[in-house]
Amino acid sequence: MKLIFAGILAGLMATTAAKADEMVFTSWGGTTQEAQTKSWAEPFAASSGIKVLQDGPTDYGKLKAMVDAKNVTWDVVDVEMDFAIKAAKDGLLEPIDFAVVPKADLDPRFSNENAVGSFYYSFVLAWNKGAVTGEPASWADMFDTKKFPGKRTFYKWSAPGVIEIALLADGVPADKLYPLDLDRAFKKLDTIKSDIVWWGGGAESQQLIASGEAAFGQLWNGRVFALEKDGADVGVSWNQNLTAADVLVVPKGAKNKEGAMKFLAAATSPTGQAKFAEASGYAPINTKAKAEMPVDVVKGLPDAHIDGQINLDMNYWAEHRDEIATRWYAWQAK
Amino acid sequence: MSVEAQQGIATSRIPSGLGGLLPALILVGLFFVVPVLALLLRSVTDPAPGLQNYAALLGDGTYVRVFFNTFVVAFVVTVVTVLVAFPVAWMLAIMPPALASILFGIIILSMWTNLLTRTYAWMVLLQRTGVINRALMGAGIIDQPLPLINNLTGVTIGMVYIMLPFMILPLVGTLRAIDPMTLRAAALCGASPLAAFRRILLPLSLPGIAAGGLMVFVMSLGYFVTPALLGGTSNMMLAEMIAQMIQSLLNWGLGSAAAFILLVVTMALYALQLRLVGSKRASVGA
Repeated sequence: MKLIFAGILAGLMATTAAKADEMVFTSWGGTTQEAQTKSWAEPFAASSGIKVLQDGPTDYGKLKAMVDAKNVTWDVVDVEMDFAIKAAKDGLLEPIDFAVVPKADLDPRFSNENAVGSFYYSFVLAWNKGAVTGEPASWADMFDTKKFPGKRTFYKWSAPGVIEIALLADGVPADKLYPLDLDRAFKKLDTIKSDIVWWGGGAESQQLIASGEAAFGQLWNGRVFALEKDGADVGVSWNQNLTAADVLVVPKGAKNKEGAMKFLAAATSPTGQAKFAEASGYAPINTKAKAEMPVDVVKGLPDAHIDGQINLDMNYWAEHRDEIATRWYAWQAK
Repeated sequence: MSVEAQQGIATSRIPSGLGGLLPALILVGLFFVVPVLALLLRSVTDPAPGLQNYAALLGDGTYVRVFFNTFVVAFVVTVVTVLVAFPVAWMLAIMPPALASILFGIIILSMWTNLLTRTYAWMVLLQRTGVINRALMGAGIIDQPLPLINNLTGVTIGMVYIMLPFMILPLVGTLRAIDPMTLRAAALCGASPLAAFRRILLPLSLPGIAAGGLMVFVMSLGYFVTPALLGGTSNMMLAEMIAQMIQSLLNWGLGSAAAFILLVVTMALYALQLRLVGSKRASVGA
């Protein structure tokens, strides 16, 4: 009996033990992680001999739990940039080893001591052409239920995006968004609250728009790109598109830190970034990547829509994350 | 192994069976009691020692409303489940055994299907462009889709469906134990079917209703998946709020306190119900 128990225990420990030729990459699942697997993990595994295991979806609570318990099973994690800034402050992340990861060509907007860019994206206004008459042209149209009736879908979690959209729709100029006027934003959101359907993940946003369950919504541009590729009848407006970034981080105490840094070098390389952008429609964070991409793909990226583009302020969000989140969830539950 | 066990019984004076409880006790101790204590500890130490997490929860209108919502949803689900389950259970109790076992099989079968799959199936049925709304609109019965999802209606439908077996099974047991002759006797004495139900069947089946109802209510209190997918944010339940505190706010102290309050309330209700059912049983027996 004791022997069996010891055997099971040993087995468990063996599976969690670090292996130099293996690492775990965690991202958000769906079409995005598929593209990351194909563009980064598979070529990296072939050239380095390090097997990349996939896990997901990213879960900030789990990441903190792993670090607190000193049993970190994730080596590289794709997270939102405002979280990365906050997590670094809380001591949850390893510093990036820039001796291994070449820094020169990385867009400085999306990299810092504890994170390198994964990709950057825009929130765009997308709609189901079968469910909407006319073409919504701005965020203000999403708040006009008379002109554009139907359900609208927004990102459910407290994160950069929806607050800014409400303020823009209410007439706040783009350069006066920060510091965010939360009272004004929630008042504006109140006017359409009963028409909002929330999406919690990328796949859900695609399902809502493709089925017409929501007539239009605020989507990640890569998810709209994937819908278009699948032949869904969707329209998209890049007017006032809002950029934000995902970054790659290494949790403090990751078991294969060395492998993780090598992976980051491959993922942020011009080739890795070009391939991923081509597969996902998200923008590369390596300034040399565009040279390796087909012209028509470059035209579809957020970079091609700089007119009226607004950069969401990640540092502001990192600083006010908890305060905004508390109000956000309180408002939602009302 | 069996020889050892027999020897154990023969030589020890401990009442037989207690030793057999040991594995279960260790399991519950390690994987339930210890974590609950850790939870309690975290709720009064994170981020600083003191009761500020509890004060924050009970002093904030939002959290109190979510607590209230949770109990309202659990209560509505329990009532609807009883109403739907009772006729089914009664049919099962008086049906020929062969037929009843087929029906039982169907009811149990639903429990073997993955919870997430079943909930997504309801989404497909209930949404604005879903099967039910399309059919009703196609038949000309309604011209605007009914709001069946992202609200209390959606949560109730989805959860009642999942809870039904937990209500039906204890209820059938109770109903089968009732002597059918009591109903015939009531009819012979001139009671209408309604009076017979109200004065004979219902009181006699109360222990089953209470047992099933308690199980459904307590399970509903902590439910996460179904309310998250079929409900809206305005009738958010506690489990979802705790998930936000843990995953998004990373405020584990607050989340622990909320979880602990739910646990205490649930156990208090359980104790209360146990007492009520216990006395009912006694009076029925007498």
